[in-house]
Amino acid sequence: MNIGYFSIIAALIVSVYAAVCSAIAKKTGNMKLISSSRNAVFVVSGLITITAASLLYALITHNFQLEYVASYTSRSLPLFYTISAFYAGNAGSLLLWVWFLSIFASLVVIQNLRQNRDIMPYVISVMMTVASFFLFLLVFVTDLFKKLPFVPQDGQGLNPLLQNPGMLFHPPTLYMGYVGFTIPFAFAIASLMTGRLGDEWIRSTRRWTIFAWLFLAIGNLFGSWWAYVELGWGGFWMWDPVESASFMPWLVATAYLHSVIIQEKRDMLKVWNMILIILTFVLTIFGTFLTRSGIVSSVHAFAESPLLGYLFLGFIVIILIFSYGLLIKRLPLLSSRNELDSLLSRESSFLLNNLLLVGATFAIFWGTVFPIISEVVRGVKVTVGPPFFNQVTIPIFLTLLLLTGICPLISWRSASRRNLMKNFLYPFTAGLTGGIVLFIMGIRNTLALISFTLSIFVATTILTEFIRGTMARREMTGEGRLKAFFTLIRKNKRRYGGYVVHIGIILIFIGVTGKAFKSEKVVTLTKGESSTVKNYTLRYDSYSEYPTRNKYIVATTLSIYKEGKKVGILTPEKDFYKGQEQPSSEVAIRSTLEEDLYVILAGYKNGSATFKIIINPLMSWMWIGGYVLVLGGIIVLWPDRKRRKGAKALTAAHGMSRLEI
Amino acid sequence: MKIKRFRFIIGGSILLLVLIYLIYTGMEGTMRYYMTVSELMAKGNSVYGEKVNLGGRVVKGSIEWDKLKLKLKFSITDGKKSLPVIYKGVIPDAFKNGASVVAEGTYSPRGFFRAAALLAKCPSKYLSAIPEKKK
Repeated sequence: MNIGYFSIIAALIVSVYAAVCSAIAKKTGNMKLISSSRNAVFVVSGLITITAASLLYALITHNFQLEYVASYTSRSLPLFYTISAFYAGNAGSLLLWVWFLSIFASLVVIQNLRQNRDIMPYVISVMMTVASFFLFLLVFVTDLFKKLPFVPQDGQGLNPLLQNPGMLFHPPTLYMGYVGFTIPFAFAIASLMTGRLGDEWIRSTRRWTIFAWLFLAIGNLFGSWWAYVELGWGGFWMWDPVESASFMPWLVATAYLHSVIIQEKRDMLKVWNMILIILTFVLTIFGTFLTRSGIVSSVHAFAESPLLGYLFLGFIVIILIFSYGLLIKRLPLLSSRNELDSLLSRESSFLLNNLLLVGATFAIFWGTVFPIISEVVRGVKVTVGPPFFNQVTIPIFLTLLLLTGICPLISWRSASRRNLMKNFLYPFTAGLTGGIVLFIMGIRNTLALISFTLSIFVATTILTEFIRGTMARREMTGEGRLKAFFTLIRKNKRRYGGYVVHIGIILIFIGVTGKAFKSEKVVTLTKGESSTVKNYTLRYDSYSEYPTRNKYIVATTLSIYKEGKKVGILTPEKDFYKGQEQPSSEVAIRSTLEEDLYVILAGYKNGSATFKIIINPLMSWMWIGGYVLVLGGIIVLWPDRKRRKGAKALTAAHGMSRLEI
Repeated sequence: MKIKRFRFIIGGSILLLVLIYLIYTGMEGTMRYYMTVSELMAKGNSVYGEKVNLGGRVVKGSIEWDKLKLKLKFSITDGKKSLPVIYKGVIPDAFKNGASVVAEGTYSPRGFFRAAALLAKCPSKYLSAIPEKKK
């Protein structure tokens, strides 16, 4: 029998043990049991690692007797895609989920050997309960190590759509994000259970939360990038249920990241933060559920499995009832000492940001589950398409963009007119001027104009913040410009890292806004013929067919001229992978900061070919924004250097509080 | 204190109303029936010209495709009834015999479905092919 299979069963038993004993130990105060359940966490991650290793081994050694290996790999598949087949199927991706969780849980236990002793047993209990659920699915519902009655010569190969670097990274990054939110959730629940409801649970999990948030963002971006370069329809987002599923927890987590600042600063919104983190966690499970169950028809959902769907649904209902029940029970302990003072204050603008993010999430949720609701209620399936999501979320997201600019400029508690005038003058002027210039340049699309104007406004506010902070430091310490600038960031990583993230978001907005100016054309060309789209001329030069080791390629070559000058060659292809019936369109993209030229080989016959040519303005800025966002995230996460006591006192004496968020 | 709280409640309610308004108007223009072939044909003339999403499988051997003009004709089925579909445009890679597809478009009184967009999903079970190969 298989080692992987046995160790997954063992992992289930041990994780249930850890979940139960940890809670009992806390109730009875049995120290031995506490340390035993702690060790159990390590054992679980060890056992799951063995299972993962044995699956990897089977994949790499082409053990085609395993159904899983035979369905997703073949001998001709390159090694890294063979490894990525680990999470190509339902069972494997569940294994990846719980593997990450067990590793994260072990890290949490190690981090908290000496701190948070009061709540740790419950934290362990919650993490292991979640792990048990996934392990249960792996053992009883899916059959990862199912053997075929015979050994096939070769496997089916990986779906060509998944043979793309984007798909290599998309699932693991997304899962790190999903799974990461289990940690703050576990701490929140543990705090509710013990009634220790200060800020400790938030502070202890701050890094985990940002880590999870960052990876969820990266996962979503990888997904979009993959859709853009691989799916070949020229877009990057189509509000598919699966996309919405991974976007919703990110939105709520964004709200949470902002509102915990209010709790730390002003001791407010305690209940709200609990609601948000529970909701985030539930949405991560809901996301996994949507992709696994096939309940909503989606272009890239996994195999349909109703049983899995019901189990997930049951799990979600249990989490919701348990968590919110517990929260209601603890409400008296969660009263705030402060109240919102004024509508014009940073607290209010944060609160508004929160409501908008949650509102957007609700709208997306509504659109995503509407087909199910309408079928249950009215007996007919009614769907809403991308236009719905765009119509509803664009105004909300533009308002959020505006708030991104306003928040840092508005003072805590209550903003005075002077404060507003002083802080808003430059950014407001810059935004307005930018908008007018763009209008004169001939941009007439209202939403795009608003989006660009707001982007300039927000970028200016952030720039002002950096300049103001650097100057204040220079005055205070007499440091040089560059040194003052970097020390400023180093000493206030959370605030300035956050600003860098905001710059990333602005760039992503700019990239998305480019969609408003998209142009496309379908054209049939014989060899030597040319076609012009906007300021590009494409000449169809040659056609070729040739086999490679694992596919048969049909390639076309086009010379690209821009304003009369030759700027390059594009070769859109259709590839036919061995063992796969369907072709795989390989689009050709010429990417510049200004715009992307995107060419799809749609069809061909007797040397003639039909192309779809798309021009996507500003597309690159979306990916650049992604890099900037990651940079900002890294700044926030960067560990503090162990400061000497003296240095700490000095900072405090200089009254740096204004510079901190 | 009371007045302050009142203001926030008013503010919150306005936000909620705006959200409901956005969702409501968003739904009005974009709602579409998702139907199987049998459901569509049962509705008959009441849905002529109305935008619907038609889900089903591609009937094996029914695909006629002009590779240059990108004109596609195929039959879609739900296992009970089938209907010809015409479409013009780029065809998704996953589109093939037996694939499960969603055609977005209108039902014509002339007895076919005119698709403005076509989505295809790869059949989730590749496995069925393995034993056949063995034989």
